[in-house]
Amino acid sequence: MKRPGVSSGANSPASRNSSPAIEVTNIGRRYGTLAAVEDVSFSVKEGEFFALLGPNGAGKTTLVHMLTTIVPPTSGTARVMGLDVTGQSAEVRWKLGMVFQEPAVDDRLTAAENLEIHAVLYGIPRRQRPESISHAVEWAALAEVGKRRVATFSGGMKRRLELARALMHGPVVLFLDEPTLGLDPQGRRNLWERIATLRDEGMTVFMTTHNLPEAAECDRVGILDRGKLVEIGSPAELIAKHGGKEDADLEDVFINLTGHQLRDEVATARDRLVSFAKKGGEHTR
Amino acid sequence: MTSGPEIVRSKGAIVPSVIYILWKRELLRFVRDRSQIFGAFSRTVLWLLILGFGLGAALREIEGYSYAQYVLPGVVVLNVLYASLQSSIALVWDRHLGLLREVLVSPAPTLSVTLGKLFGGASIAVIQGTIPLLFMPLIGMDIEILAIFFAWGIMFFMGVLITSIGVIIASRMRTFEGFGAISNGVIQPLYFLSGSIFPLKGAVGGVGFTQISDHTRQHLVSEGIRTLGAVWFVTLPWWLQALIFANPVSYILDLLRYVLLDFQQLPLMADFLVTFLLPLVSVVLAAYAMRRMLRPR
Repeated sequence: MKRPGVSSGANSPASRNSSPAIEVTNIGRRYGTLAAVEDVSFSVKEGEFFALLGPNGAGKTTLVHMLTTIVPPTSGTARVMGLDVTGQSAEVRWKLGMVFQEPAVDDRLTAAENLEIHAVLYGIPRRQRPESISHAVEWAALAEVGKRRVATFSGGMKRRLELARALMHGPVVLFLDEPTLGLDPQGRRNLWERIATLRDEGMTVFMTTHNLPEAAECDRVGILDRGKLVEIGSPAELIAKHGGKEDADLEDVFINLTGHQLRDEVATARDRLVSFAKKGGEHTR
Repeated sequence: MTSGPEIVRSKGAIVPSVIYILWKRELLRFVRDRSQIFGAFSRTVLWLLILGFGLGAALREIEGYSYAQYVLPGVVVLNVLYASLQSSIALVWDRHLGLLREVLVSPAPTLSVTLGKLFGGASIAVIQGTIPLLFMPLIGMDIEILAIFFAWGIMFFMGVLITSIGVIIASRMRTFEGFGAISNGVIQPLYFLSGSIFPLKGAVGGVGFTQISDHTRQHLVSEGIRTLGAVWFVTLPWWLQALIFANPVSYILDLLRYVLLDFQQLPLMADFLVTFLLPLVSVVLAAYAMRRMLRPR
């Protein structure tokens, strides 16, 4: 199975249809006086594999939240498959598949029970649910452990479960938030192969990542810094333009564009919960 | 994958299948967490048996009921409080690290998601609230089927009310590092200030009123005599009474005590209003809180 990003845009399914899967126009989001995202415009073609890069706190999460209709923009607009993320958010949601950084699964439920919840939330009719669930379990190669609680799953198994779940309702745009974080090389390879298969079927994939070698395999890359889109283009274009030296790679581009300064942030409420969870948590899990 | 399954796009805010699946999720989470079930049992044993018989030895009787009998409806209420708040405060966790993020990006309407959560929390409350009832024969109370059904109804409505309050609290909590603050800051005040462990006013003490024959006791009760021998008539200080009157749990407990013990101290009309109408209001507020939390503006 070939890996994503290897095939050129010319023979990928993207060229069949030139209308953008995602179209962002002057989008911005303010929290009080703080502009998390400011005046960002770009588009992602149908079938394209797009990576959004940026240092911590650059606004990646806010931008993804706006595209996935979780947070409404305070200025500008975004369209997913031609549908407005604010005015037609319910319609947009059916078109999207989402894979979260920390698996958004219920640890106390089995894989099949988690998938059943998804099937119901997305309105898959009752008689189709068993088939849809068993198909997803098999696709994720979790058939043998389908009746075990997810708490006993490894990170890679949870990620496969999440990916299979995100596909159950037949989305056309897939959002992946740091999809390979915490995976071993085998798990990462397996995930890439799955993504490649999906792209062959015409799926548009939008990914946020810190892993620059992975981003280098995408069709196009956007670099976000301090809420602004500083550069966008194919990895080769960016390296030629901003690499600044022979045999430069995307990491050189990234550092040249966003600087050497460390982006230390105060731990968010979520970070504190994660560390509390790692210490053992209490009652709620 | 582009040719997805056939999908039913419900337009309304109430989707029964969504309510059902999220209710089921709550119950599955509960039955798979032994610590919660253990907590409900240990609370019951502690309050009903240890405290009931321990304090009972000193107080003898309250208005003709043994102390364990008097405190039983209170222990039911305590279990309902714990069950409902544990279920709802888990939202803080769920929205950052759990399945709720998946619900968040789904097209499922928030009202249905909220109702699934509330009914789930209330059902767990009924289960945990039933545990003290299992001890009724042990403390000399008869189990009457009709009374149990009424008690379940009251527990369910109370479960909806307290889970809603918990959802509103959870929607404003940014982080969660332990249930202690909720336990000490919410559950215990609501519990202690509800007349659960001491009466608003009444005859405390007495000699063996619960030990005389049923027939004689019922006759005495019908004459307005609820205790024999030496008693103290206790009345709480005005400020404590005010706090008890201000606590909605007092009215629910009063109704529960009426159903289980045939004894009550507050206006019955107020009991009914608080028990059955307040939860309807709280559901609406919880739905708004959920919406604010899940769909920021």
